[in-house]
Amino acid sequence: MTGIDTELYPKAESRHSQKSSAFKNARRALRDERISGFTGAFLALFIWGHLLAESSIIFGRETYDVVANFMEHTIPLAQPVVFLVSIAFFVHFIWASRKIPGKLRERKRMMELGKTLKASRKTWQQDPASDIKLRKHFETSLWIWQVRTGMIVLATGSFHLILITWNLFSDMGYAGQPPGFTADLTVSRMSSGLWILYATLMASVVAHMAIGVYRLLVKWLADTWFVRNYAKAFFYLLFGFYIVLGTITILAGTGVWGGIVL
Amino acid sequence: MARTLTFKIFRYNPTKDNDEPHVETFELEETPRLNIFTALHLIREKQAPDLMYDFVCRAGICGSCAMMINGRPTLACRTLTSDLDDTIELLPLPFFKLLGDLSVDTGVWFHDMAKRVESWVHTDKEFDPTAEEERMDNATANKIYESERCIECGCCVAACATAQVNPDFLGAAGLNRIGRFLFDPRDKRGDQEWFELVSTDMGVFGCIGMMACDDVCPKDLPLLEVFSYIRRKMNAGVKIAVPDLEM
Repeated sequence: MTGIDTELYPKAESRHSQKSSAFKNARRALRDERISGFTGAFLALFIWGHLLAESSIIFGRETYDVVANFMEHTIPLAQPVVFLVSIAFFVHFIWASRKIPGKLRERKRMMELGKTLKASRKTWQQDPASDIKLRKHFETSLWIWQVRTGMIVLATGSFHLILITWNLFSDMGYAGQPPGFTADLTVSRMSSGLWILYATLMASVVAHMAIGVYRLLVKWLADTWFVRNYAKAFFYLLFGFYIVLGTITILAGTGVWGGIVL
Repeated sequence: MARTLTFKIFRYNPTKDNDEPHVETFELEETPRLNIFTALHLIREKQAPDLMYDFVCRAGICGSCAMMINGRPTLACRTLTSDLDDTIELLPLPFFKLLGDLSVDTGVWFHDMAKRVESWVHTDKEFDPTAEEERMDNATANKIYESERCIECGCCVAACATAQVNPDFLGAAGLNRIGRFLFDPRDKRGDQEWFELVSTDMGVFGCIGMMACDDVCPKDLPLLEVFSYIRRKMNAGVKIAVPDLEM
């Protein structure tokens, strides 16, 4: 092993120890990647369950109350989950945002490239029999959308989390109200105008989640049987399903749509 | 009826005084099976003798003629004009140093990358020219072959948004090269050595996963597959104790 001196990597000699700065840097990079990945995966799983549970309003207020009561009292799951999700939410923000370029010039450059690559398909009618395989590309722009929706989720989601934490730990049986969450409380909140905030949050969180899951799957599993095309199909499926579910949940929650009466 | 193609070509000669970057328009009658490479030859022959662009093999093997064709980094020699609209926009690859017009210097970057990833088989075995070749199982040989098909055209790096803002990022070509030696059983680099090289923001964890490299690669290399392999290898790597590095 010769001591090749490059600007970026320390000399070969320093590689002998796990105390070397190169090793520590590498371990830190891995740790950062793990933290952003794991919190993202956890939050995605949470959103899947959360939106499914919320969608019980589609089947009427009674069904919603049964689900809420079950989650909060039968198995006291909601309270610890709010804690965990709040922590994961901010940890994910801090660790995932390390990938967002700091300078406006850099962000503009990224956006320009994303736009160029995405637009190029409009003037590219490749012959299917051609031996050169260039796929349509929109994932660079998709990442930019993930950043944008992430920022919206950060703002609206923070508000949502604070409100929910407040409710869970202060409104439990307060002033003659039944303890915990009820459909009445949710519907009154939604129809008083907060639905705008929840609709924004829902659309952003679903987009952010679906894009993130796509990316996570491709990053870690592309060489297994779960290839990129499956991950992409899964992305469309997740996005489509939860956007539709979320929309009808909000329609039912605001009372615009009466829901399905069982 | 043959189409008349309009070429909008980026022109700039940095060695010439008072030359400003600008776009020049050329017109050319389309002929059957015309590709961008031949079209550029025709334009240079008849219309702009000082037009600079790189080419060697005209068969998608040398990787010289990569450029932005209608906003997409790809090889000029393997792009038929019949796949494109009447107006064709040609720009040099971003990220790399511009030599003039459509010609960029990919060589310096690739040389530097090869030095950084120490792109050779690390072994302490003395080479014996009389001995029988070492055997390798077919699956491993295929994997190495797939990664080695890279022609260093630079399309993946030009399409990489991460590389645009982080010039030290090894890029798809660099990570693919790392994969090639990770697959190779003859390479005796230890886990920790790999870990320190690859598990950084210049290496595999600098990649955000925008997948443009995979979409534009003219050789259709299994880039994402290689990166996933490297990621999982690095994820397991941190627990591995210090290997014997006496080489």
